[in-house]
Amino acid sequence: MAAPMAISPTRMELIKLRRRISLAQRGHDLLTEKMDALIIEFFEVLKRVKQARTNALRQLSAAHRALSVCLAVVGTIETQQASREARREIQLDASTRYIMGIMTPALRIERVERTVLERGYSIHFTSSALDDAAREFEKTLELLVELAELEESARAIARELEKTKRRANALEYIIIPRLEATIKFITMRLGEMERENFSRLKRIKAMLEARI
Amino acid sequence: MNSERWIERELAKLNAHLPMKRISLSEALKSKKPQVVGRNGSVHEFERDELELLASILPESEWDSLFLPILVSFDPKLGRGTAKITGEVEAKVVSQLLGKKCAGGELLVYLPEIASLRRKLPTVTQYFFMV
Repeated sequence: MAAPMAISPTRMELIKLRRRISLAQRGHDLLTEKMDALIIEFFEVLKRVKQARTNALRQLSAAHRALSVCLAVVGTIETQQASREARREIQLDASTRYIMGIMTPALRIERVERTVLERGYSIHFTSSALDDAAREFEKTLELLVELAELEESARAIARELEKTKRRANALEYIIIPRLEATIKFITMRLGEMERENFSRLKRIKAMLEARI
Repeated sequence: MNSERWIERELAKLNAHLPMKRISLSEALKSKKPQVVGRNGSVHEFERDELELLASILPESEWDSLFLPILVSFDPKLGRGTAKITGEVEAKVVSQLLGKKCAGGELLVYLPEIASLRRKLPTVTQYFFMV
């Protein structure tokens, strides 16, 4: 049981504590509602993460298959040479999005799939197998960006959920029980004082009657 | 810190993401970048697909009466896991999306329905906690 707070047992303190406990109760109820809302958001994002991860892995596997074919057809050195020649810049628009005040990343990637000429390597010394592999990896990149955004969103929501749970627990298991214990202590102390007063008055009355 | 002040601060933070001013559906549709600014300075953008979905549900005459974001209000008085949508047009749109009957200008929604609503309209709906 929580220990009562060290305050003077007066009626004024009792009124103040009753107001505080009602505020704490309200805070706890609202934080619980917030937790419910966060759980909805978290599971929604988690569902999308699962789907995005499946898509990304499937595409990644297709890309590696295409790369293996490319290495066999074009050759390792030629493929490495082409990769060094390829243009590496891709436009990524990174901003933030807010879900219930939680900052999550919003990544927007403009067209990743490029034409053979846009890629920048020589088309005279390479084969279409290299183009296929490059295209597959470009598709993968798009899916990986989407996955990164969703995973970071899930992480941010999970962090907020943990914080909210800790606060709700602090109210439920520390603050509210302590306030309740203090209210109980003051109520008992005030009752005790009233009884003391009553018996004192009775004793005085008896003494006065005896004197008369 | 005084626990009372700590609780008050926590409660104040609950609705910090809400916009200072809501915009109507017609304003949002006209805008190139439909967005609202939150009390904490955060910018909340609306997805065009969702705006178009709302526009397809409502007749054009009601586009000025629908204010965005639609608020899903949690009130502890309603009990845990229950929220309400206030506003006649807002309640009408949500009831059509969820396939529920709406009586008057208020609609009560429960957690599975909130999840479904948020799945359909993740940017044009926001949570509001009745402090």
